[in-house]
Amino acid sequence: MSQLNSSATPTLIAKDGTRILDGWALLNDEDVVGADGPYVLGFERALTELPGLNGKYGVRVNPGDDIRLLTPYMEKIALVEVNFPGYRDGRGYSNARILRSDLNYQGEIRAVGDVLRDQLFLMLRCGFNEFVLKDADPEGAIKAATDRFENAYQTAADARQPIWALRQKLTEA
Amino acid sequence: MYVYDQFDHALVRERNAEFSDQVARRLSGELSEDQFKPLRLMNGLYLQLHAYMLRIAIPYGVLSSVQMRKFAHIARTYDRDFGHFTTRQNLQFNWIKLADTPKILEELAEVEMHAMQTSGNCIRNTTTDQFSGAAKDELDDPRPWAELIRQWSTIHPEFTFLPRKFKIAITGATKDRAAIRVHDIGLHLTPKGFEVYVGGGMGRTPHLGHLIKSGVPGEKLLSYLEACLRVYNRYGRRDNIYKARIKILVSALGPDEYARQVEEEWNTLDQAAIDAPYYEIDRIRSFFPDPAFADKAFDQAALDRAKAADPAFARWVRNNTHPHKRDDHVSVTISTKPVGLPPGDASSAQMDVMADVADSFAYSELRVAHDQNIILPHVAKADLYDLYQQLDRVNLSTANAKKISDIIACPGLDYCTLANARSIPLSQEISKRFADADLTDEIGELEIKISGCINACGHHHVGHIGILGVDKQGIEFYQILLGGRADEKAALGVITGKGLPAEAVPAAIERVVRLYLQLRTSPAERFIDVVERLGRETFAEALHEPA
Ligand code: SF4
Repeated sequence: MSQLNSSATPTLIAKDGTRILDGWALLNDEDVVGADGPYVLGFERALTELPGLNGKYGVRVNPGDDIRLLTPYMEKIALVEVNFPGYRDGRGYSNARILRSDLNYQGEIRAVGDVLRDQLFLMLRCGFNEFVLKDADPEGAIKAATDRFENAYQTAADARQPIWALRQKLTEA
Repeated sequence: MYVYDQFDHALVRERNAEFSDQVARRLSGELSEDQFKPLRLMNGLYLQLHAYMLRIAIPYGVLSSVQMRKFAHIARTYDRDFGHFTTRQNLQFNWIKLADTPKILEELAEVEMHAMQTSGNCIRNTTTDQFSGAAKDELDDPRPWAELIRQWSTIHPEFTFLPRKFKIAITGATKDRAAIRVHDIGLHLTPKGFEVYVGGGMGRTPHLGHLIKSGVPGEKLLSYLEACLRVYNRYGRRDNIYKARIKILVSALGPDEYARQVEEEWNTLDQAAIDAPYYEIDRIRSFFPDPAFADKAFDQAALDRAKAADPAFARWVRNNTHPHKRDDHVSVTISTKPVGLPPGDASSAQMDVMADVADSFAYSELRVAHDQNIILPHVAKADLYDLYQQLDRVNLSTANAKKISDIIACPGLDYCTLANARSIPLSQEISKRFADADLTDEIGELEIKISGCINACGHHHVGHIGILGVDKQGIEFYQILLGGRADEKAALGVITGKGLPAEAVPAAIERVVRLYLQLRTSPAERFIDVVERLGRETFAEALHEPA
């Protein structure tokens, strides 16, 4: 699917709808990792180098990467960029949920790549909190996704209680 | 049946608002067809050869007379006066205008229906035994569990972009009428919890599901399913659409390894947060009580007299009723397959009559069976003749349930862009060939299933006789499979003999059937039993014109 309302320059936007400046730099393979800098490492490189690094780093995760291999380094990771090479590839949703629910990761999870306004609701529920959007109206896209559904049937990684819990509250009230 | 509360209503309303907005953007030209396509597919709207098709979800095939009447209204108002009941226990309208879809969805929402997740690579409508809550051989009612799964799977944030579509089926009876071994996940509800079969499916590479776990307690079902889906979502193939179903993953890993990974994933999940508590399961269950069964005096002698006076009625009672848990009731199959007409089609007038008879004789409840017929699950025996006469007036009294003319056929070349060959006209030709009701009765139970191409939407792999349309240098050709079945002894049919042109198929089937009649030891030995006893090859020669 090509981008709806697409605009040329991507915007980095947080889940509350505020634009943010990207202080992070994705390192190329030949670049040297500086100490505790705002560097995003490729997944393989993160696995090799994080053991010897101190400080906080970013990691870029592609759909086929096994996110759980990062388990030992949770303390050293402040940003995970989950890449969507195409919007149809749904592995990124599982990666985000594993980070939040299983690995108890508290840092930023950023959706990058083919990120479309019609998916934002799902991403928000899976624990993403930053998005690189090519949408011409990124604030509007975030607002639409936030307001689209008041409630949800399932437990996920957002603050929503599942509808079964809300029902229970209603009868107890 | 399940009744929406404020939460269910709100969710459908919100979803419809979203889709109406998308349709408006498409109609104004803001969205191109390319951009619109994935959005409409999330809502059951397909573009077929000639028009839009809207597929409406009938959760686990259960519907009320009010909903059936709404279908009639939609058929009359927005389609060409027809609807088509599918093998997924859904309903399709084949001639829909895009601009009408928001209005149709609004009308559906009024009767607690929608078109969500009837297409796309998500968890589809869960299907189940059409006689749930009624059948004599039922151990437990699968409908509350199907509803629980419906809610859990609706707009599931993690599983909306799976490698491929995902279908779950549940049975709670000794006989498997839900075909659980040919679903991505098949659940068998037993007194000791769920048996979970994974990796069944048809299509190009048919597989039977493997039992990967027994004794999953109901209150842990959702988290276990979540683990099954997560392993699939992460590791299912995405490089080749024909290898993307879970059956390919399970056979590549081996069922044991897949089961091990699921178990591991299950243990990492916060099960208490995912699994709906007993409270919710009981709440859902409370929507599926027995109807207030009428204690109508049943006069066996009167029924016998009616049968003697009206042999067609006698045949219908024999073929189209199914044993009920109460001796004074039966379940009734309304055949949507009169001889020579497209299987699964119903006119608005027929839908209205089905709704009316459901109100008069069946506690207002209907089901769509996965063989595309309509079921009245609870009918007092005392009402059978009245019911029959009303159905008969609108050509809904065909007495062919589970018989040779009760054919499943996919839309085929008449509607489907992927087809190699026609399905519906062939099914019509075959049913005409066996139009003689006495012959049909003599043959007994025999399931024919026809697919117009290798994608197997007509389930040809599990037909006692399966027919597969292939393309042979631009000519429609058909391969014949024998010995498939989707019940508790599930097996895949095997291509037997050489391919045949369309005009040769009905005669070939007749020769096979005549040979069966010679070979069977008694009328109780069904076609499928004889194929199993003597082997498929016994019938190979009969498929071809004697030289
Ligand atoms: S089996 Fe083939 S021809 Fe038939 S509906 Fe499916 S895709 Fe179309």
